[in-house]
Amino acid sequence: MKKSLGILVTFVLLFSMILSACGNGSNGNAGNGGSSTNDGAAENNNGSVTSEGEEKVTLSFWTLFSGGDGDNMQAMIDAFNKEHPNIQVKNTKLEWGEYYTKLITAVGNGNGPDIGISHTSRLPDLIDQGVVSELDGVADEAGVDWSTFNQNILAATIMDGTHYAVPIDTHPFIMYYNKKLLNEAGLLDEQGKPVLEQSADGFVAFLTTLKEKLPQKVTPFALSNTNDDPFRLWWALYSQLGGNDVVSDDLTAAQIDTDKAVQAAQYIQDLFHKHKVIKVNDPDFYKNFQSGTAAIMMTGVWATGTWESTEDLEFGAMPIPKVFDQEATWGDSHTVILPITKKEDPAKRKAAITFANWLADNGQVWAKAGHIPSKPSVFEKQEFKDLPYRSDYVSVASTVKFSKPSTKNWQIRDLAMFKFLNEVWANKMTPADGISKMEAEVQKVLSE
Amino acid sequence: MKMNKLRADVQALLFLFPFLLVYFLFTIWPMIKGVEMSFYKWTLIKKMDYVGTGNYERMFQDNEFWASIWHSTIFVLITTPLMLVLAIVLALIANRNSRLQRFYRSVFFVPSILSVAVASFLGLFVFQPYTGLVNSLLHWIKLLPEGAEIFWLSETHLAWIAISLLTLWWTVGFNFILYLSAMQDIPDEVYEAARLDGASDSQVFWRITLPLLSPITKTITMLQIIASFKVFMQIYVMTGGGPLDQTRPVIQLIWQTGFRKNDLGYASAMSYMLFVILLVLSGLQYWINNRKEAN
Repeated sequence: MKKSLGILVTFVLLFSMILSACGNGSNGNAGNGGSSTNDGAAENNNGSVTSEGEEKVTLSFWTLFSGGDGDNMQAMIDAFNKEHPNIQVKNTKLEWGEYYTKLITAVGNGNGPDIGISHTSRLPDLIDQGVVSELDGVADEAGVDWSTFNQNILAATIMDGTHYAVPIDTHPFIMYYNKKLLNEAGLLDEQGKPVLEQSADGFVAFLTTLKEKLPQKVTPFALSNTNDDPFRLWWALYSQLGGNDVVSDDLTAAQIDTDKAVQAAQYIQDLFHKHKVIKVNDPDFYKNFQSGTAAIMMTGVWATGTWESTEDLEFGAMPIPKVFDQEATWGDSHTVILPITKKEDPAKRKAAITFANWLADNGQVWAKAGHIPSKPSVFEKQEFKDLPYRSDYVSVASTVKFSKPSTKNWQIRDLAMFKFLNEVWANKMTPADGISKMEAEVQKVLSE
Repeated sequence: MKMNKLRADVQALLFLFPFLLVYFLFTIWPMIKGVEMSFYKWTLIKKMDYVGTGNYERMFQDNEFWASIWHSTIFVLITTPLMLVLAIVLALIANRNSRLQRFYRSVFFVPSILSVAVASFLGLFVFQPYTGLVNSLLHWIKLLPEGAEIFWLSETHLAWIAISLLTLWWTVGFNFILYLSAMQDIPDEVYEAARLDGASDSQVFWRITLPLLSPITKTITMLQIIASFKVFMQIYVMTGGGPLDQTRPVIQLIWQTGFRKNDLGYASAMSYMLFVILLVLSGLQYWINNRKEAN
């Protein structure tokens, strides 16, 4: 009798333990983040200057930036608050993995922030869910001049002729190279640029030369084998061939230009398995380049800041080579949005869009992490010119091929494209097979 | 007497109240709400349309759902028996009279104190190619030739092995402790009597230790099955459910459907299906155990 009681007790205890363990599991990535509000900035300014008659506006701003991005954004907010005594922006940093879920639910029950961040590719979904408000009226009132933005970046944030977001950057997929290794292989010219013929064969020749001339432990081309980066490379090459997204213009059906998609996939699969210039399943592709054991690397511009802070890494940055017919690459943008609020406050909205426009105007700070500012006028500022590398790839802003405004952009990418492209990179599927299965899966995601 | 008991009950309830309130608000109420959700098309922010049994009908034709149920089942089938055996073996080792007894006990239990995220990332690092512990070890003992790599996490079969090994290592501690305490509950007289009758070590184990552990074995089996069906985080970190979603467990599919596809209604329906499956399995097990005891 006593024993069975003991078992019962352990049973109950264990059960509660498993339940709680499970609870932790599903929230795992929320764990360390939480939110930290920074109101240190608000105190800088009180007292002297606020007596202009206009009422002081306090704005809540939700961001998803961490690391260098997080620091740069905070610095910009502090500077803005200093310059604008009547507007105080308070930054709430949210965990990146939880950001969109929290934003959508908070706006849904009327507790959203005054200002938020959205990726351009995520914007259609947020508009569709009623999270993002239109900007045209308030932008006119605050005197935002849309023509000062890079039109390629801006166009991706306009839906049905209406402005919904103020883009502050674009962060495209570019190429980095290790100057020391390229020099060793005789592929660096006097200006410190790679000697590289911009064509399909030219790029392969470049990589195979690196492979032959450099020690065996050096990886010619450091690239992830799964998910984002090889997908971005595929997107870039597919777009260079003239491919136009994987959904139709009316966004209702999967539409892949099969020949071009297969050709691009074949080219990349060959880099992996025929020319063997990419280390297979390399889990440390970032570190590989960072520690100087990889000659080139492709990823998003956000890596620039990381490489810069790495000692003894002599690197250069450039657009993805024009392997096929036209220049193009993958890219996305960070944009500032004004979430829909329970009670619309015109003063707050005007202040918010003033802030958004100011962020875009002062892109030289934001560019420290590597991003390309959304306003070309920033490129002319001395502070921007003083930053090395950035000017070598700002031209990319006009050749980024953004995805079409489908509400399911992220689902299509995460659930359909990664899945089959990964198999092609692993050499388990032919490009033709992979692309046709991918098209079917994209269609499935769209019709769900 | 009766009055006293009533007072004690009221007092107990008073003490329990804060917990019960939280428990009701954050566990019972969401469960009830979940049933409602499963009959609607429901996004992250709003209830959309009533779809009746639409979500359930869709589920029965959804290959992805059944595939992921199967993946979770594979995980249960691999880990549950291994877990039982491993836990008993470790308990036997730690139960021997030895100077290292304390050492064994803490070492076997220590991995259990890691959070799921830490354990999963350890698994990722241990099994990754080139620099992972497992491949390096295999290179070191020359089992794996120079320049060759085993891609543990990108081949479906190997991925299951890696995930199972990590899970065994990480969670065996609790079951080990349960077995150990049950073993210590077995009276010494029983062993003495067996020795006097000339029983060998293996006879003692098979005829005495194991049968006397059977109540706890049943408990562990049931807990293990339920817990294993809820596997998610370690797989999500180590393989992301890949390659080709072939290691994606049902909880990951539910999470994807709810929070990535923004379809909480369908996700709830799948959750309740899993609940029903677990209920049936537990009921079945209960029934089998009881029948045996009746015989």
